[in-house]
Amino acid sequence: MLEPPVSLQGTGAMYDLLLDAVQGVTVIFLLLLLLIIVNKGWREVKEGSLARRREFLEQKLFRYVTGDQPIEVVLPPPFDADDRPAVESIFFDLTRIAKGNVRRRAREAFERLGIVDHYLERLKSRRWWFRAEACEKLGLMGSPRAVKPLIEGLSDPSSEVRLRATQALGQIGTSEALRPLVKALKSPGRWSAIRVSVVLILAGDEAVNVLLEEFQWLPDHAKLSAVDIFARIRSLRSSPLLRELLTDSSPDLRARAANALGMLGDPTAAPLLIRALEDGRWPVRAMAAKALGRLRETGSIRALKGSLADPQWWVRANAAEALKAKGASGREALLEMLDSPDPYAAQQAVQMLQESGVLDDFIGMLISTAPGEQTSALGIMTKLVKLRRVDLLTDAARQHPDRNVRQRLATLLGTPAGA
Amino acid sequence: MKDWAVSGIILFNYFVLYYFLALNLTYLALFLVSLREVLRFVKRTFFSDYQQILASDLTWPITILVPAHNEEKTIVETVRSLQMVNYGEFEIIVINDGSTDNTLQNLIDAFELRRLDKVYRKSLPTRHIRGLYGNLLTQNLLIIDKEKGGKSDALNAGINASRYPLFCSVDADSVIEEDALLRVVKPFMEYPQEAVAVGGIVRIANGCEVHEGRVTKIKLPDRVLPIFQVVEYLRAFLTGRIGWSVMKSLLIISGAFGLYKKSEVIEVGGYDGASDTEDLELVVQLHENCRRKRSRYRIVFVPDPVCWTEVPSTWKVLLRQRNRWHRGLLQSLWRHRKILLNPRYGIIGAVAFPYFLFFETLGPFIEILGYLAVILSIILGIINWHFFFLFFALAVLYGVFLSIAAVLLEELSFRRYPGWMDLAKLVVYGVLENFGYRQMLSISKMQAFWQFVRNRGSWGDMQRGGFKKRSTGGVQPSPSP
Repeated sequence: MLEPPVSLQGTGAMYDLLLDAVQGVTVIFLLLLLLIIVNKGWREVKEGSLARRREFLEQKLFRYVTGDQPIEVVLPPPFDADDRPAVESIFFDLTRIAKGNVRRRAREAFERLGIVDHYLERLKSRRWWFRAEACEKLGLMGSPRAVKPLIEGLSDPSSEVRLRATQALGQIGTSEALRPLVKALKSPGRWSAIRVSVVLILAGDEAVNVLLEEFQWLPDHAKLSAVDIFARIRSLRSSPLLRELLTDSSPDLRARAANALGMLGDPTAAPLLIRALEDGRWPVRAMAAKALGRLRETGSIRALKGSLADPQWWVRANAAEALKAKGASGREALLEMLDSPDPYAAQQAVQMLQESGVLDDFIGMLISTAPGEQTSALGIMTKLVKLRRVDLLTDAARQHPDRNVRQRLATLLGTPAGA
Repeated sequence: MKDWAVSGIILFNYFVLYYFLALNLTYLALFLVSLREVLRFVKRTFFSDYQQILASDLTWPITILVPAHNEEKTIVETVRSLQMVNYGEFEIIVINDGSTDNTLQNLIDAFELRRLDKVYRKSLPTRHIRGLYGNLLTQNLLIIDKEKGGKSDALNAGINASRYPLFCSVDADSVIEEDALLRVVKPFMEYPQEAVAVGGIVRIANGCEVHEGRVTKIKLPDRVLPIFQVVEYLRAFLTGRIGWSVMKSLLIISGAFGLYKKSEVIEVGGYDGASDTEDLELVVQLHENCRRKRSRYRIVFVPDPVCWTEVPSTWKVLLRQRNRWHRGLLQSLWRHRKILLNPRYGIIGAVAFPYFLFFETLGPFIEILGYLAVILSIILGIINWHFFFLFFALAVLYGVFLSIAAVLLEELSFRRYPGWMDLAKLVVYGVLENFGYRQMLSISKMQAFWQFVRNRGSWGDMQRGGFKKRSTGGVQPSPSP
């Protein structure tokens, strides 16, 4: 901020103007100060009162949700509207950590105390934040009566209200509530596709049914979201569709379908994914390699070894990761790759062998008395030296707990051993 | 001769008057825009949002980059606190930028690290990488040991090694709140195609109690200088950055805490080592690149993700820090001068650049020249004392009003300083900062301008106090507010 001084002759009008400005700013300053104090005080009083009511009601409401008495016994009518915030916060806290009967009992209480009606009425408010709050609360209450008004909320002019309505419908989770959300995936400008997808994923199996029914009518961008949702819900019912998509004309869809099949963990999809390793587009190959790493089968090892020499870094990296995930057979394949003429493939193999602890085992074998182990370990170490991937070996030559190992590695590396 | 001097001073005073008016109207507009946005933000913040983001597999994974140069006192605690953040998938990469102390060794000892033969992909050029360290049991922690190349070079090395599409830069001496990543990633979830960079609020840790990498008790600092900076940071973040963000003209995301889309940063060549403020330079480059591509993009400030950092508690370090920030600003304005008033760059060229040039750059000069003009007027016997005092009172009151307005925004929204005494202190220091503190900063900015013109200047060594159980206010660089 600037505070320039002024000298010289001020005219009368200018002087008066300045005086008014000083007085004006002083008044505004004092008003702001008052506002801060009043706001802080009022907030503290309100929070204190809520805490006290919560304390008073908490035990009673806990007994209600775990018992079978009607809510009217715990909170005799007429229900005091001032208690609503405390009742809501107690029930919401309980339903966040408990499901089943607790949730059902809380829902009943919300209905009988008129809280659902209160928020249904609030959905008509002129203020968007009241409507948004109403959507959110109705979703948390899980009231089926709210489905229709919430579907209407999807067309609200405020994006916040639309988003809360989406979430609320996802929380209610019936097919009637979810169908409009699938439609919402079609208009990415109006919705955040990720946020809608998250809601559908959380809705679980029911969302798979609706998505499978609607899939063919979806535009490509919505299909991509749908495939991601299938992947996250991990329902095998989506597997036939995903296999079909591996030959789709859109490379994006092929790549996402490959990834989804991996996340589903269906080993019978392996042959198709192996074929996808030959796809003309590298993202598809990279995703196919990644997916194969997730499947518990070993038939893809040969193909994955081939992918370690792929011209694309991501394909090589994913193939190496996949081999690492294949257990003993993958480990053998990675060890073989140390002889690969392709330096990239060999480097990826070194990294994976290191990350899976295999190289540590070999370093330990340098002093093994079992027949052949020392020779085999020495062979691997020599290959690493040839590849110039010696960081781990150098470290071990300095710090390995066994002096003989340090000595052997130092000889191999031509450096002094650690003390 | 005397007549000329008198005419000159009169002319200058008229200029000052209009300048003062324009500047303060701009501040007022920024405050009003920020007030509206803060109220909107508070109404938009529903608790279920962050639970959903945390629970979702679709939430973008994040790489946290921690550049470290001689940070032996704080680095282990910083990494431990980062490991505890409440977020789904993330990795931490610490870049040891040629430290000459025990930074690397402390990390190796604390996290049982070993050298790894990891494949390192060089998307951005950096100084020589001496080694990569990790632990097979904690695969989301990687340490890069490299030759000294400065903060930008270190961040670029971290970007090269990162696996995820978003990266978050965090200063090695800062503490981010548990849910900060969940909050800062929200714009990327809502606008995945458009979001390019998101900045979070930086708050001052001096005076707060920090335990095991967490701020456990929030208090205002005990020392005077850091309290002035608390008021200044509140004003800069709550009325400055929020306002600029709403106007799609945010030029600064603090180096201490910002989240970026990696592909966009690589596209502009990463952090620029030639700049004194790499954070500001990167954001300007991102704006420029997105405007050039004519893409729809968002560079936004989100006011509730919190990063706590220590600020200088001595004049010497504070002035050196501000000198560097101002030099960095001047470098970026000069380097991207074609943006100024260029319609191709929209509001950035029409409003943000002119503001930073005419108010942030020239402001200190005009302020100091104003004081000189007063002295000259007294010598020449032409001062109107009534007018002078009124104008001075107005300037001070307006400054106080802006500080109090920032305190109001804080009270309406985040309320991090809960005690009545804290509130009283903020108000009192909002008044006191107008007498000496601001003038000193203006002088430092003038020096920075002079150094910029002469094209010299240095980073200087920064000393670290290190977080203690109860922080007493160490000395360190921190992000531009």
